[in-house]
Formats: sequence, structure tokens, C-alpha cells
Amino acid sequence: MATDTGGTTDHDRGVLEQLNDRTFRRLGVAGTSLFALAVALFIGYILLVRVDYDLLVNIIYPQFTFAFLRVIGIVLISSVLSVIAGVIVGLARVSRTRVTSSIAKSYIEFFRGTPLLFQLFVIYIGVPQLWSGSFPLQQFNYYAAVIGLTLNHAAYVGEALRGGIESIPDGQMEASRSLGMSYIQSMREVILPQAWRNSLAAIGNDQVILVKDTSLLTVLAIPELLSAFRQINSATFDAWTPIVLVAIAYLMITIPLGKVIRTLEERADPATHGGDD
Amino acid sequence: MDRRSYIKSAGAAGVALTAAGCLGGGGDGQETIQIGSDIPYRPFEYETTDGELVGFDVDIAEAVFAEELGYDYEFVTNSFDTIIPSLNNENFRVIMSAMTINDERAEQVDFSDPYFTAYQTIVVRADSDISSTEDMRGVRVGVQKGTTGAAAAQTLKEDLDGELTINEYDQIPDAFSALLNNQVAAVVNDNTVSAEFVNGEGEGEVRFVEGEGAAAEEGENAPPYLTLTVENYGIAFRQDDDEFRQEVNDALATIRENGTYDEIYSEYFAG
Repeated sequence: MATDTGGTTDHDRGVLEQLNDRTFRRLGVAGTSLFALAVALFIGYILLVRVDYDLLVNIIYPQFTFAFLRVIGIVLISSVLSVIAGVIVGLARVSRTRVTSSIAKSYIEFFRGTPLLFQLFVIYIGVPQLWSGSFPLQQFNYYAAVIGLTLNHAAYVGEALRGGIESIPDGQMEASRSLGMSYIQSMREVILPQAWRNSLAAIGNDQVILVKDTSLLTVLAIPELLSAFRQINSATFDAWTPIVLVAIAYLMITIPLGKVIRTLEERADPATHGGDD
Repeated sequence: MDRRSYIKSAGAAGVALTAAGCLGGGGDGQETIQIGSDIPYRPFEYETTDGELVGFDVDIAEAVFAEELGYDYEFVTNSFDTIIPSLNNENFRVIMSAMTINDERAEQVDFSDPYFTAYQTIVVRADSDISSTEDMRGVRVGVQKGTTGAAAAQTLKEDLDGELTINEYDQIPDAFSALLNNQVAAVVNDNTVSAEFVNGEGEGEVRFVEGEGAAAEEGENAPPYLTLTVENYGIAFRQDDDEFRQEVNDALATIRENGTYDEIYSEYFAG
């Protein structure tokens, strides 16, 4: 067995040695081109054969347009709230006070450790049952959606920020404190601006996931994109026409969002790159 | 659907089968008929707290497939709104999921003879002011996605010039939860399933809207509550499965004649 393994490794090494940079690049081009061609053929087939354009035009408005706007609205609100709440969670998480940091840790453990779908059910079905009379809030599904997305993503944003803060060497905090700055001042003026930059990529990633998580809101009877898909599919039995629309709609949100995050990252990256690495 | 409930329902069907084998059906070594169903949908298919799969559809399946035809069978859960494509993708052989026979569905699948008649009804909270379809103007109703209840609500919305908001839930218990939690003013759904809730967990808190309706207009033996539509349930088959469908139709006729059907019916539906 041992000799076999050795033989294989030698053989592999032989092939790898023959693989110079140029052939490697060519292989890459060939592989990706082949993949792109297959995808293009598939998409072409779907668009030319499978999609029913009369139906497509029919369902864009009002069903899909409203679903799309609804998703954007929910994302905007939950996104802002989750980043604000996430900063609080992150700061609590790095706190040197045992009580604060362990509460923040438990919060993160719970919201990262249980599925968002479950959390949404807890809020939407569980919470109203705690009322003795009739539950006062109408359209609670929208509140439940925003609360669920916010609480869940605050945990991820908090964890991302903690990572950012911990990547800043302790020396900076110590230096700031010895210059006479308070803990709050040192955090605000020295640590957070750098930590923010370091965690932006992770936070941005999480916000893209938040957009996709709105698909779970279909179970709260919110007519979002996936609900629109299911409704059209069960009414017409046409799968690909609404699939194409759903894909376009999500990408119309996530691609620009990705661009915004990249711009923010560039802006947060100062020309005078501090020697903090 | 999640894997666990699939395994559970398969297991429950297995238990039911063992019992059937003893009684005399004896489908040993035979082909297993997989039955697609959206579980839970009381009282047609649901699990007891012990995890045993029971219900009207389950007992009819037992009588038809196991006792009459001697096949093994198992229930496979599949959400209702994608159940017809799943049948046509051959994920299972037939659908038994309290499915109403209608023209749109009949274009995609073939149905057995009707094995059940249901009415679309409106359930409201006990203290509600709603006593007719006209009172539904401007309210929010809960339905299950992809069901004929959802279609009936849509028709009602058109009758009310669009002044009706429809909340579509994944499963009917969610719609009833929403009714109890004051999120919707009414639930539009099959009478038997709703009756199970009205006389069960929701007793004293919710009631049917009463009055005459579609059933009375068709001169049928009308129930006391307001009926929006009259519907017949059928077992759905793929369109190339005629021979098997005929077998099942014969078996359905047999259990209606020999009293098995009435026995099962009275077990689940008191009235």
C-alpha cells in the first residue's frame, strides 16, 4: 500500500512538473470557456424554447414588480437595522466586562445556531400566542420578517465586527489609552475605523445573504419573489418562465449590492495604509 | 419536505402494511406504490403525536392498494403546490392528497372516480361580524398556497371587486394560527378539514360562516354552512397510467359496495 501511494504521488509530481505556467493558463482558459459555452447553450435553450414570453410579459406586472419592490423594502429596512444592531452586538462581544460579553456570546450562539426559518416561526406563530386577548398588530408577518432578519443578521454582523476588532493589534488600544484617550475614544477614533474596514467584506457578504434569506418569507404569507414563482407555477404548471424572472430579480438586487460593498471597501481603504499588518 | 417526516411517514405506512399483511391482503414481494401527499392536512393525512401516519386518505389507500389490490404502498410527502409536477417527474406513482378534480389539473394528470365530496367554506373567529360573503369586503383571508381554497378566495376577491386581501400560507395550520392570532379575519378552506379545526383545537374560538351557497344551488344535500364551491376529490395518476387507474377505480367501487368506505368515512367525519 505504502509503495502504491508513493508511486502515485511521484507520478502526480511528474505531471505537475511538466505543467508550466503557460500550459496552466491555457488549461484554465480552455476549461472555463468550455464551461461558459455549456452554460450559454443551456441558457439559450431555456430562453428560446422553454420561456413563454406572453406569460412572462403578463406576470411581470403586477405580481413580480410588487414582489420585487416588497423584497427591496424589506431588505433596506432589515439591512440598516441589522448593521446597527450588529455593531452593538460586536462591541458587546469584545467587551472586557464578563457579563456583557457572555450575554452577547449567547445571543450570537442562539441566532447563528438555529435556522432562520425556525426563528421566523417562533416570532410569527409563537409570539402572538403569548397574548391572552386577540393580538393587536395587523399584518404582523411584515413585522415578524423584519424582526427575524434583523435579529438573525445582527448576530452575523456582530461576529464579523468582532473579527475586525480583534485583527487590530492590542498595542493600538494600549497606545491610545496611554495617550490619555478613554476606552470609548480609543474605540471610536482608532480601533473602529480600521476594524470596520477589515470587517466590511464579511458584513457585505452577510447582507447579500440577507437578500437571499427573504425567500424564506414565503412561509409567512408575504408575497415575495418565491411566492410569486410558486403561485404562477401552480396556476400554469410552467416552471421556466417564472424561474427566469426570479433569477433576474434576485440578481438585480445582489449584483448592485455587491458593487456598493466594493465601493465602500475601496473608500474605507485609505491611501496611507497604516502599518497595522 | 424535510427528510425526517418522509422517513416517519414511510415508517408509519410500513407499520400499517405489516398489519394489512396479517389481515390477508398479502402483497409480499409486490411492487410498492408510492403515494405523493402533502402531510399534514387533517383529517386526510396527518401524523399522531406518536408519529403514526393516519387519515382518511391513508385508510382509503390501505383499503384500495393493500386490501383490494394487494400492493405494498408508502406515503411520500411533497408540498401541495408542486405535487403535480412531482408526479409527472415520476417521484411517486399517484397523488392522494385531498386533491380536488378540476379542469386545469385534468390537463396535467388523469383522475380516478371521485372518492370524496368537499365544499369550500369560510371560517371566522367566534366573535366576528362576518355572516355573509358580502361582509368579507375589505378583510384579509388566509388560505393554503396552491389549493382550491386559494382559488375560491381568488374568485371571491373578483366578486368583491378586488376588495379582499389574500394571505397564502404554506400549510393550513399556519392559516388557522393566523386566524387565531388575529392576522387574518377568515380562512377559506375545505369543509371537512376546517370542521376538524372548528370542532377541535379551535372549539369556542372560531366558527363557520353559515348560510346557503353553491351546494344548495346545485340542489345537493347541502350542509348548514355557507359553501363557496362544490368539489370532488380524486386520486391523480400520470396520463400514461390508464391500466392502473382502472384497477384503482374498480377497487374504489368495491369498497363503496362492501361497506369499507362507509366505515372509514364515519371514522373521520361524524356528520
